[in-house]
Amino acid sequence: MTYASYLYFFAFVFLVYMIYLIIPVKYRWFVLLAAGYTFYIVLNGFLTAFLLVTTVSTYFCGKQIGKFQEGFNAKKKELSKEEKKQLKAVVTKNKKAMVGIAVLINLGILVFLKYYNFFAGHMTRFWRLFGFSGGMPVLKLILPLGISYYTLQSIGYIVDVYRGKYKPEQSIGKLALFLSFFPQMTEGPIGRYNELTPQLVEGHKYNNADFSSGVILMLWGFFKKLVISDRASFMANSVFNDYQSYSGTVIVIAVAMYTIQLYTDFSGCIDIMSGSARIFGIKLSENFRQPFFSKSVAEFWRRWHITLGGWFKDYVFYPVSLSSPFMKLSKTAQKRFSKFFASLIPSAAALFVVWMGTGLWHGASNKYIAYGLYYFGLILLGMLFEPIAVKIFNKIKLDRKGKLWSGVSIVRTIILVGIGMMMFRANYVMDFVHMFLRMFTTQNPADIFNNTVFSLGTDKHDFLVIFIGVVIMLIVAILKEKGRDVLTTAATGRIPLKWTIMIGLILSIAVLGAYGPDYGAVDTIYAQF
Amino acid sequence: MEDLLRILSEVKPGVDFTKEDDLIESGILDSLSIIQLVTKISDEFDVEITPLDLVPENFKSAETIYEMIQNAED
Repeated sequence: MTYASYLYFFAFVFLVYMIYLIIPVKYRWFVLLAAGYTFYIVLNGFLTAFLLVTTVSTYFCGKQIGKFQEGFNAKKKELSKEEKKQLKAVVTKNKKAMVGIAVLINLGILVFLKYYNFFAGHMTRFWRLFGFSGGMPVLKLILPLGISYYTLQSIGYIVDVYRGKYKPEQSIGKLALFLSFFPQMTEGPIGRYNELTPQLVEGHKYNNADFSSGVILMLWGFFKKLVISDRASFMANSVFNDYQSYSGTVIVIAVAMYTIQLYTDFSGCIDIMSGSARIFGIKLSENFRQPFFSKSVAEFWRRWHITLGGWFKDYVFYPVSLSSPFMKLSKTAQKRFSKFFASLIPSAAALFVVWMGTGLWHGASNKYIAYGLYYFGLILLGMLFEPIAVKIFNKIKLDRKGKLWSGVSIVRTIILVGIGMMMFRANYVMDFVHMFLRMFTTQNPADIFNNTVFSLGTDKHDFLVIFIGVVIMLIVAILKEKGRDVLTTAATGRIPLKWTIMIGLILSIAVLGAYGPDYGAVDTIYAQF
Repeated sequence: MEDLLRILSEVKPGVDFTKEDDLIESGILDSLSIIQLVTKISDEFDVEITPLDLVPENFKSAETIYEMIQNAED
């Protein structure tokens, strides 16, 4: 992604918005659909075919599920209780088959394109362990933009229709819009049909508050991305790509830099996208809620990439936990183990599935599997030690909700998340292990003062800018945590305040943004997933 | 209702479930405790709770959970 592409995107949003306002309200959703496909075709070319396959298959399977259900509803009044039960079993089987087809097609495309080479590589290595030659061929596969996001949206839709949460969409155009709304195409947030589609097809008139909120949110996103994230990336890249050359002190600072980079990159891009949607009067789902104020890693994942966690909760964790094999496991555990372990074992098994899925969703690599399992391990340890922790806190009479322990918990969570970030960014799992060990074996605080830290692409001036940027973000986050949303207040408040904030953000981006001849363009991280 | 209150206190000891009216917002119940709760409810009340029932509105208080069980019994 080049810096010019941000300007193109800004221009694209406003061009589409102007056309949107010209068209009669009733037909405005057509503009969004056309914009989504234009955006996608420009960026993806012929790979748009995959999006079309997903849209068409999801549409027809959803409609068929609706027909099965309607048929059952029409007949059930005339049937006896036993006949109704029999027919329901048949209808449920048919509906499940439709869900199966939709999931097989859509998840199949994603799994094949994203994981085939990873799987083939492992199979070939396994094959050769036994002295055989050859193996599975490596294919040149290109991943269509946003496939990991729109596939989850389509599966969520089809499962909800199956569950009877809402009726299937009768207009293929409206379903296509749900799966191709352009602000969501690159990095989410992962939308839900019943929350998003009514807003998309409604047709919004110009609203000053929405327009101002959208512009300020976009500028805030650009500020995070261009002023903070891209600067932090330079040092993080230097150290992670050549960690053997640096001391543990430098590695700790690089991990902090990467954590800042990833958060400001991902949340910044989500702000840009949410802001561009807000201009049209459309509110996208919240994806971040001050994650670094979390008191546990479980809470962190309820505040970080919220729509992914929510998706896994509703479409993996709950159905897996309530499935008959897991209910059987639960009953067996109740017979054989104490109350504590009887409830822990099935939960742990379901969590394992969720975290393996979350890890793999990020990419086809051992490090992402390790990343998922790392959080699974932490959450499991938390559950295992909870009874002991309760006893200890009761004995020493320390209030777990008090300020002191809350502060300690926040710092502990940041450290644990930092370790997770190191695993996420390291090129390989073993790189992470070596970097982690170097943090304890090669500490050299002198590196902070002898210019080593400032010679890795992010100089003293950059550090100062990052520091100021992080302090501003911290103030905004603290106020939001206390229920005061500065950005919305600015957008809907008095004109002088609104313009001060807007001009302040524009000047910051123009003067402090990491672009120009001395800087390279930095791709957004979550767009590659 | 008494059976439900007993199950709730088994899943989350030390909480007065007769007084709490927003178990989700207050962080008392999370997805893990909801699953533990639902497993016990399905077992003791012999009802089928589906993923569709697992929405925050059904787990706001002991009363809303009780209503969900009654709906499942119907």
